[in-house]
Amino acid sequence: MKFKPFLATLSLIVLFAACSQDNHERIFDSSKLPVVSQEAVDQLIADFVLAEDGDIITIPEGFFPLKTQLILDNRRDISIRGAGMEKTVLSFRDLRAGGEGVKLVGDNVRIEHLTIEDAPGDGVKAQHCDGIAFENINVTWTNGDKSKNGTYAIYPVQCKNVLIDGCVASHSRDAGIYVGQSEGIIVRNNLAFGNVAGIEIENSDDAEVYDNVARNNTGGILVFNLPGLPKADGKRTKIFRNNILENNHKNFALEEGQSNGNPVSMIPPGSGIILMAAKEIDVYENEIHGNRTMGIAISSYQITGFPAEAPNWSPYSENIRIWNNDYERPMAIPDLTKEFGQLISMYNAHGKGKSQDIIYDGFFDRSRATEIIQNPMKICIDEPQIAKLYFTLFDLEKGTSDIQAFKDITPFTCPQGISGL
Amino acid sequence: MSSRKTLSYLAYALFGLMISLGGIIFGCQPKHKEVISVPDSSSELELTAFPTASPNDIDLADLPYKKLSAYGFFQGALKDLMPSEQVLPYAPASSLFTDYAHKSRYLWMPADSTARVIAHSGVGDIDFPEGSILIKNFYYPEDFRVTDGPRRVLETRLMVKQAGKWEAYPYVWNGAQTDADYKVTGAEIPVSWVDEAGESQLIQYIVPNKNQCKSCHNRNEELVPIGVQIKHLNYDISHKGRKVNQLVRWEEHGFLKGEGIPSDITALVDYRDDANHVDLRAKAYLDINCGHCHQAAGPASTSGLFLTYEETDPMKLGVYKTPVAAGFGAGTLKFDVVPGKPEESILLHRMSTNEVGAAMPEIGRVTVHKEGVDLVRKWIQQLPDVR
Repeated sequence: MKFKPFLATLSLIVLFAACSQDNHERIFDSSKLPVVSQEAVDQLIADFVLAEDGDIITIPEGFFPLKTQLILDNRRDISIRGAGMEKTVLSFRDLRAGGEGVKLVGDNVRIEHLTIEDAPGDGVKAQHCDGIAFENINVTWTNGDKSKNGTYAIYPVQCKNVLIDGCVASHSRDAGIYVGQSEGIIVRNNLAFGNVAGIEIENSDDAEVYDNVARNNTGGILVFNLPGLPKADGKRTKIFRNNILENNHKNFALEEGQSNGNPVSMIPPGSGIILMAAKEIDVYENEIHGNRTMGIAISSYQITGFPAEAPNWSPYSENIRIWNNDYERPMAIPDLTKEFGQLISMYNAHGKGKSQDIIYDGFFDRSRATEIIQNPMKICIDEPQIAKLYFTLFDLEKGTSDIQAFKDITPFTCPQGISGL
Repeated sequence: MSSRKTLSYLAYALFGLMISLGGIIFGCQPKHKEVISVPDSSSELELTAFPTASPNDIDLADLPYKKLSAYGFFQGALKDLMPSEQVLPYAPASSLFTDYAHKSRYLWMPADSTARVIAHSGVGDIDFPEGSILIKNFYYPEDFRVTDGPRRVLETRLMVKQAGKWEAYPYVWNGAQTDADYKVTGAEIPVSWVDEAGESQLIQYIVPNKNQCKSCHNRNEELVPIGVQIKHLNYDISHKGRKVNQLVRWEEHGFLKGEGIPSDITALVDYRDDANHVDLRAKAYLDINCGHCHQAAGPASTSGLFLTYEETDPMKLGVYKTPVAAGFGAGTLKFDVVPGKPEESILLHRMSTNEVGAAMPEIGRVTVHKEGVDLVRKWIQQLPDVR
């Protein structure tokens, strides 16, 4: 699906929208910390290399300039412990080869009380772990040009039993907290700000995302399933009691005016929650305030315009339950820099330039029903503010020349209540 | 040459000068060595502290030794890398690009032990006996146009089979080229050479830290060798003036049990040999440079992009496959591989950049492999458009 025709007519407004500034907020200034000696840096590298099962790697106070990756190689029962988020800083600004700053592989591994800065790829990546905990760590980038920042700040992938608790993730040019292809996940009490995506759960099962603050990202909380990955699809994510506030940061996944093949680079600024090809999702008791494009988007992979076929994977979002959330639309126009934003701005059912609380892109599996109003993908919305919400159902099947939009939310209000699904 | 580049060259030169001065001031002459005169030779032969070391005396329980010389893999001056009697040279048909470094590889096994081919592994995995040691040296000739000219050895990496598992022990050579020290924390070494075209080259060569070994040598989080599979070894080499299959040579040497070479395993071609079809050459290049990581059992399985020689599914090979992560890794491109359009393919883009975070492979190079890029460009150019 392409919305190119909009682009020509919107150039003036796009210029205006591009004036929104970057967020460079830091929770503390690491440059004030004393730089440790080269011996201390070498000791830390050696501690990782020589770690044995059951070790506690204690990292003292100070600023550690690292030129090589810190890798934990398949060990059990390891704790990596700094002296505090604002006291122990691992800086990968001078890393010259390798993706992530810290890589953790093993079972029952914990990393806590430290800060990781300026890794060229991911801040901290954990792969093939059973039992991995990130607690009270801060992962960020301090560059001026945010499109040169790293990909994910906190990045468990292909793991089981993941805990991310009390962490801060900021300024990633993809997702601050990204959990990929994993099972059994708790993401709680974290702060994600200034990222393209605040928190993202992708191709994963059984995730609980609660009591987090996602503010001033491009998109606050995302649940995606992408095609063609070893873990083909993901199910069951609960998103509850989060504050999803003013996620209006410009999308810096790429430099101005560029686009590529990644869905995250297409996220319009002003997105609270985006569900894409997501299955069995509960969204409840969240505070969704000040996101200028939409509070919640229920979408299918077709919205990206990329090939939407892959084995053991479905492009549709289905079995989505949304209830008891609190919405506040800002006094601002929706995004016009991304095609998805332009769609909402121009074609929503409540009038041009109006922020939406919930949008549904309307793609559905035609083998299940002939009409979207039969609710074949089982979308269930039961909100106290339902009468006042701006809801838009799109029909994009006919292409850009004939986009339809509908206000009526009743086909998706589940008469049996949310437990009816 | 840009002024910034000039500056960095100057910095390297200064660095080199400081190192040399440091060597003079602090008397960084190699210790533990003796210089003996050999009657029938006009040159001095330098030996290290272990003139009588033999691999037969290696005690696995004592590994890793602090010095490379302690293993006794080589006879004569260590830097000449002349293998001892039981140490066998080998090479994969196609080899990994490491900043144009030259490599020499050797295999040693304890006496009376042999390796066996594991049946039905698909790629021809070899089960090595306890105590087997793979030895890989990284060096740069001063002038690539001169064979047997002076050269500088930078690294020797050992993989040792101990208690049924492989261990990796990296050694970094000293400036005097008399020995190499066990070093787990990695290093950066300025290296210069004159390339085949007569151009001077200068890079900051990066020695990975020990745990970075598994960035490549990793199958299901177990450390494994890469090049010693039937698919890499099954080709003719020249030995003492005759052409012989490398695996037959291993059998003759007693390193491989003679059960015949499995016929069901497709052997890689040498990607440099343009007598082969570009498809085979490019797939061989991608296999040895990318496939160890980009496969179902490798660390890059997360991407769903699988670049092994055996892979035939176009989507897994990246054809019209969108990337998982956003950002400059993909540049402004949509798909990993667009048939017929190399310039629109992320695969080629990431091979063609040195930017950390976008460059692929992630470790092992700080320069672009021009010849590799050219080959993969040709391959994408001729791929049929399946869409």
